[in-house]
Amino acid sequence: MKKLKRNFPLHFMLWPGVFFTIIYAYGPMAGLVMAFQEFEPLSGFFKSKFIGLDNFKYVFQLPDFNQVLWNTVLIAVCKMILFLLVPLVLALLLNEVTKSWFSRFVQSAVFLPFFLSWTVLGGVVIELFSLNGPVNALVSSLGLEPIMFMLDNSWFRTIIIGSDVWKGMGYNMIIMLAAITGINATLYEAAEVDGAGKWKQMIHITLPGIAPMIIVLAVLGLGGVLNAGFEQILIMYNPTVYEGSDIIDTFVYRLGIFSQQFGPAAAVGLFKSVISLALVSVTYYAAYKYNNYRIF
Amino acid sequence: MKWHKSWSVIVSLSLVLSVTAACSSKDGNKEGASSSPSSSASVAPSASSESGEASAETTKPEPLGKYPETVTVTEVIGYNPPEDPRTPSGMTPDQNKYLVDLKEMTNIEVKFKWMVPNNQYEQKFSLALASGDLPDIMELDQKNFEKLKNQNMLGDLTEAYEQYASPDLRKYMESDGGFAMKTFSSDGKQLAIPAFEDPFLSTQLLWIRKDWLDTLGMQPPTTMAELDKVAEAFVTQDPDRNNKNDTYGVSLQKELFFWGFDLRGFFNGFGAYPSVGDKQSAWIKGSDGKLAPGLIQPEMKAGLEMLQSWYKRGIINKEFALKDENKAVEDIVGGKVGISYGEWWYPNWPLNSHMDKDPKAEWIALQIPGLDGPGKSLVPKLRAGKVFAVSKDMKHPEAAIKMLNFYIEMGYKKYKDDEKAAKGYVYNWFNPRIYNPADIDNIYTEVNKALDAGQTEITLEDENFSNVDSVFRATKEYLAKDTSRQSLGISWGQYYSRAAKDGGWGTTKKVKESNQFVNNEFYGLPTETIVSKGGQLDKLMQESFTKIIMGASLDEFDKFVASWKSLGGDKIIEEVNAWYDTQAVK
Repeated sequence: MKKLKRNFPLHFMLWPGVFFTIIYAYGPMAGLVMAFQEFEPLSGFFKSKFIGLDNFKYVFQLPDFNQVLWNTVLIAVCKMILFLLVPLVLALLLNEVTKSWFSRFVQSAVFLPFFLSWTVLGGVVIELFSLNGPVNALVSSLGLEPIMFMLDNSWFRTIIIGSDVWKGMGYNMIIMLAAITGINATLYEAAEVDGAGKWKQMIHITLPGIAPMIIVLAVLGLGGVLNAGFEQILIMYNPTVYEGSDIIDTFVYRLGIFSQQFGPAAAVGLFKSVISLALVSVTYYAAYKYNNYRIF
Repeated sequence: MKWHKSWSVIVSLSLVLSVTAACSSKDGNKEGASSSPSSSASVAPSASSESGEASAETTKPEPLGKYPETVTVTEVIGYNPPEDPRTPSGMTPDQNKYLVDLKEMTNIEVKFKWMVPNNQYEQKFSLALASGDLPDIMELDQKNFEKLKNQNMLGDLTEAYEQYASPDLRKYMESDGGFAMKTFSSDGKQLAIPAFEDPFLSTQLLWIRKDWLDTLGMQPPTTMAELDKVAEAFVTQDPDRNNKNDTYGVSLQKELFFWGFDLRGFFNGFGAYPSVGDKQSAWIKGSDGKLAPGLIQPEMKAGLEMLQSWYKRGIINKEFALKDENKAVEDIVGGKVGISYGEWWYPNWPLNSHMDKDPKAEWIALQIPGLDGPGKSLVPKLRAGKVFAVSKDMKHPEAAIKMLNFYIEMGYKKYKDDEKAAKGYVYNWFNPRIYNPADIDNIYTEVNKALDAGQTEITLEDENFSNVDSVFRATKEYLAKDTSRQSLGISWGQYYSRAAKDGGWGTTKKVKESNQFVNNEFYGLPTETIVSKGGQLDKLMQESFTKIIMGASLDEFDKFVASWKSLGGDKIIEEVNAWYDTQAVK
């Protein structure tokens, strides 16, 4: 009881988040029933006809579906790995910077694009990589043929992944930097006394020290493994690169909003959620098993 | 310690407050947005229904009769900026002066549930449809009409039309023998009033820079081979004489079949009829008497082959697949491109802006070039892009009819006002509105008659006055190079699109009279499979064609045809032919 009283402000702070989740995450779950219905919007959930798994069958036999699934996994996995790797390297490097004004400047500069919306940034990226854009000016100044980045499937995918990592890397970097700061300084002093250089210190102190944080970020990232970045791709893609960049979300969007096939669209959404849930559970369990780490 | 504790409480409280404040304002907005239309929808009609019943007893139906008590109707709108630059800036559709006049004349008040820029309309309407949050009066395309009809959501307009339609509206609807009206009725119920127009408005023309042709000493092209030469010259021979390699031949954007700056007319030149512009194929009568989709016919291949070569030679923009129609328009207005396929209205927009920017620019209209001699453009049998319907929950369906009457009424001479735009009248923000289906031909004839007779003003006394008058005055001003009222480009645009004998409608008229067209035989509502598979098939088409144009093997086309058929195309062919056998008027 005493404990509860002491922690009351903390519990109190939790409530907005809980309400938010109930309203916006649990509430809409009722809509999943659409996945099993031949959903007619104006008849609503109650009057629409139930058709079992027909929506799923329909979606899985669509010729695009495999390609879409593959794209989603490929893009998302690349993004996930890079979202751990790039910020980690950045954080480790920044940690070694002794001039604090420089470190702070870089932190802000890296974090800044995180706040820009894809609606704005998408246009900028398209212009940057267009045939007459600065990147191609650079390419041709090297004596190479200009490249149509936005119309070439493999280039486009690279740009999608690269630009998203560039935009979002600041966030994870800050988290990792914070974790590094939290490592007990005496460990480093002891290591120095034992004659360990910077490299050894990093391998044996810093990395193990922030391993739990990396695992948390990985688990969180894996939950979104089928989220390959809807907003970004929707804004940047075009019919020529559908093949390499059409992901589940854009597919559902076109199916649901433009073709108004709400049932199949809900089915794909549900499919995606189930896979994500399975993946999160597995990683979470693995993290607990091998690293004895758990959130709950 | 104590200090520490209280400090933490303060911080946590303020955090919580700020978060809840942010949340609640968000929720508040959402609720406000969603509750106000529903309350207006539920309260207003019930309040007015009593008055409606009362008035029904006392007054007999009048096309523009004034309700004793205000009747509120809800609408939604996707809108473009006003066409007329004299319109006060910052206006939104709910401030349209037409609505004020409507209220004054009939006591109908229009409330917009939402207003979005036109390019977001389709999406927003789909969402509204998904949530069942429909306005009283709706502007629908055929696909959505079909959907709402099947779900039994549309109100019956039979009685409202019978009792309230004005003589002018009746005249329009009967001008095609009631054909269009019949298309949108079912089981003896009139479910929508179609805004149909002269089908020849869809005729494809070739718009080309006459001044560039003159500079290069070339003749207007009449065959595809000649067009090929001209287009190449526009790329390589510096037609604008600025000593820069910055011009190209034919305008194109990522939607290959669209409402403009697209390839419909181009393929027509090869005797191929792939599309009517929206996401559906055109249907041509085959030698076996059945309807066949133009999209998958072998004639398409020759067209794709030429496009492929055009792409390689830089005649079409290398990055067309990234450009939307705004970019295509930018290139036209910026004097970068010399040829564009499109309909009669190009001078009205965007060519008029180009003329204002560069007075030397001279665009002319040509019949589309074909394989040997001029080609035949596709013309639909029925051009009813949109229809007006009411929700079945609407208490006063006749209000929709009255609003149609109202808009037609505003065309009479007594409402003439030179300052309409400046006062905030924006005609295309007013819905429902239906034009005289013969409007454009009427304007062409009347203006030319008045010009030939040397009249100084239009003397017409019917509801067409304002449309004819505005073109006539623009023509006069263009010919006299008078820019006191509007820019020369705007005057030229109105003149050259509608009244000039060699202009947009003038050229179309020649095509019509010389029978240089092919009919799209399918004018029924989209079939079940078109509705459900259309999006998929369209994506397949866009992807395959874009790739072929950008250099993929032409065999891709055969693969496309096979996939198109197996992914639902065969079913569509069946359905369309079933419709043709049973319902088409042959």
